[in-house]
Parts: sequence; C-alpha cells; structure tokens
Amino acid sequence: MGTTLNVVIIALLVATALLAVFSKDLLAAVIVFSVYSLLMALMWQRLQAPDLALTEAAVGAGITTVLFVITIFKTHRREER
Amino acid sequence: MKKLLSLLFISALGILLLYVVANMPPMGDPGAPTRERVIPRYLEEAEEETNTTNVITGIILNYRGYDTMGEVTVIFCALACVLAVLGREKRGRIYAFVDRSTTPSSVIVKTMVRFLVPLIILFSVYTIMHGEISPGGGFQGGAIVGASMIIFSTIFGLWEASERIPQKLRAPLEGSACITFFLVGVLGLIGGGNFLTYAWPRISSSLQPAVVTWLTVLVEIGIGLGGAMVFISILFSMSREEEEIAPAA
Repeated sequence: MGTTLNVVIIALLVATALLAVFSKDLLAAVIVFSVYSLLMALMWQRLQAPDLALTEAAVGAGITTVLFVITIFKTHRREER
Repeated sequence: MKKLLSLLFISALGILLLYVVANMPPMGDPGAPTRERVIPRYLEEAEEETNTTNVITGIILNYRGYDTMGEVTVIFCALACVLAVLGREKRGRIYAFVDRSTTPSSVIVKTMVRFLVPLIILFSVYTIMHGEISPGGGFQGGAIVGASMIIFSTIFGLWEASERIPQKLRAPLEGSACITFFLVGVLGLIGGGNFLTYAWPRISSSLQPAVVTWLTVLVEIGIGLGGAMVFISILFSMSREEEEIAPAA
C-alpha cells in the first residue's frame, strides 16, 4: 500500500514537472508547478519531514505561485516563439 | 557555435556533479561518517543540549546557527533586490489591478476572508511560538502570514491591505530577522561563549536551560516577524501599479 502510493506520487511529480517545463501557456505552467509543490509537500510528509512539508506547502504552493501569477499578469501569458 | 559552447559547458558541469555524487557514500550506508557520528549525536543529545523537543529546530537554530543566519540574510537580500528593481511604493494611495476592477467582490467571499484571515494569522503565531516543540518555526510562520495577506489583498484590494500593514510598520521590521540573530550571537559572546552560543558559560548551570529556551524563542519570533514583513513587502511592491494607470473609480 505504502509503496504503491509512493510510486503514484513520484510518477505524478515527474509528469507535473515535465508539463510545467514544456507547457507553452505560462499560466498553466505555474498552476501545474503549484500542484508539483503540493505533491512534493505530500512526499516530504511521507518521508517524515513535517517541517519541510510545511515550508513547501506555504512557500512553494502559496507564495511562489502568487508571485509568478503577478509577474505573468504584468507581462505576457504565452511563450513567444 | 554559441549553442555548442553552452552545451559543452553544461555537460562538463553535469559530469563534474555526477563525479561528486558517485564519490559520496551510498544512501543508507551504515558506515557513512554522518551515520556514525552526526546522526547519533543529534538524536541522542540534541534535546538535552538545545532544550528543544523538536530536534530539527534545535539543529537549525543551534548546531547550524551560522547556516540559518546566512539564509536569513539571503531572504533580506532578495527583498533588497526586488526593491532596487521595482522601487518601494510611495506613501499614500497605492493600487493593484484588483483596485481598478469595477465588479465588487461578493459578500460571501468578503465575509469568509474577514473570518479566515485572523485564524490564519493565529495559526502562524502558533507555528512560530510552538516551533521548538512541534514542526514549524519562524520561516514557516512568516510565510503563512504572507499567505494571509495575499488572500486579503486579492479580495479587498492593495489599498486596504497597505492600510492594515503600513510601510511605516514594515520598513523597520524587515531586518528584524538578521538583527535578532546577530544580537543573540553577540549576547553569546558577552555571556562568555563563542558567537551564537546559546548556553552562556558565565551564568550558573541551573539557569542555562531557561536561557537557551528563551533565546531560541526570541530568534524564532525575530525570523517570523522579519520573514513575514519581507514577504509582504515583496508582494506589495510587485503587485502595485504605476500611478499613470491608476484606478477607475
């Protein structure tokens, strides 16, 4: 059970990381990246590092996402070719 | 040519890093130096030596105090860079895009935010103050305060938010993390130990546990306050609009 969940989380981590890198829509990339952070927080908790999980959830999924969204809002949403 | 050169550079860096990783003791190796010396010391004596039940807080603030002090300085430098590029908002009315919107926020959302923000701040105070017993600490608590101000300024607008936490309050507190860390370090010198010694050798050993606990709490509060103010200042100076595109109403 535990191993299966770990494998699922890691597979989702890799998938979200690749999506965040290759997405042409930057807003979508940022949202996917915040999902990546939440999954990472879950993984830290499973590795028994609750301090890191708290930091990852607050900074990675919360503050970084908002700062990125503000930046996209003030520049361009689509990646230029 | 340029592409080839950068590819060469990156692969050289990659090979170097892989070489270093290959020479590290394998993960979970019982004979590794960290296994034999560092981990037992932390796990067995941290609680007694640092007077913190949460060993991680003890390690971060006590054994690796210099490291954390550097991190705190890095956060302060980040704020300095943001302010150098974007500039601090002028005193008086500042606006974000939210303030220009002519559609008012719904009553439900406003009420919920009004109800939630104090609870989030209460939770962050708990995270900061309870950091030496349970998971959490200054950094996390500061980040949670920053998150609460994100919600508030999204719904009520940047102007309302900057009324609640004015620049007059933020500017002196932004450096509080570095300052408290440095002060605690110097206090350690005065107390007869090295820089950043928490257990002062000059006072009687019966008083030492209390002093260590209170110094740890002091540093946590300093990091929490400083971190929160740095996050909020970065948020405000990034989301504010220039005066020319000021509000609709």
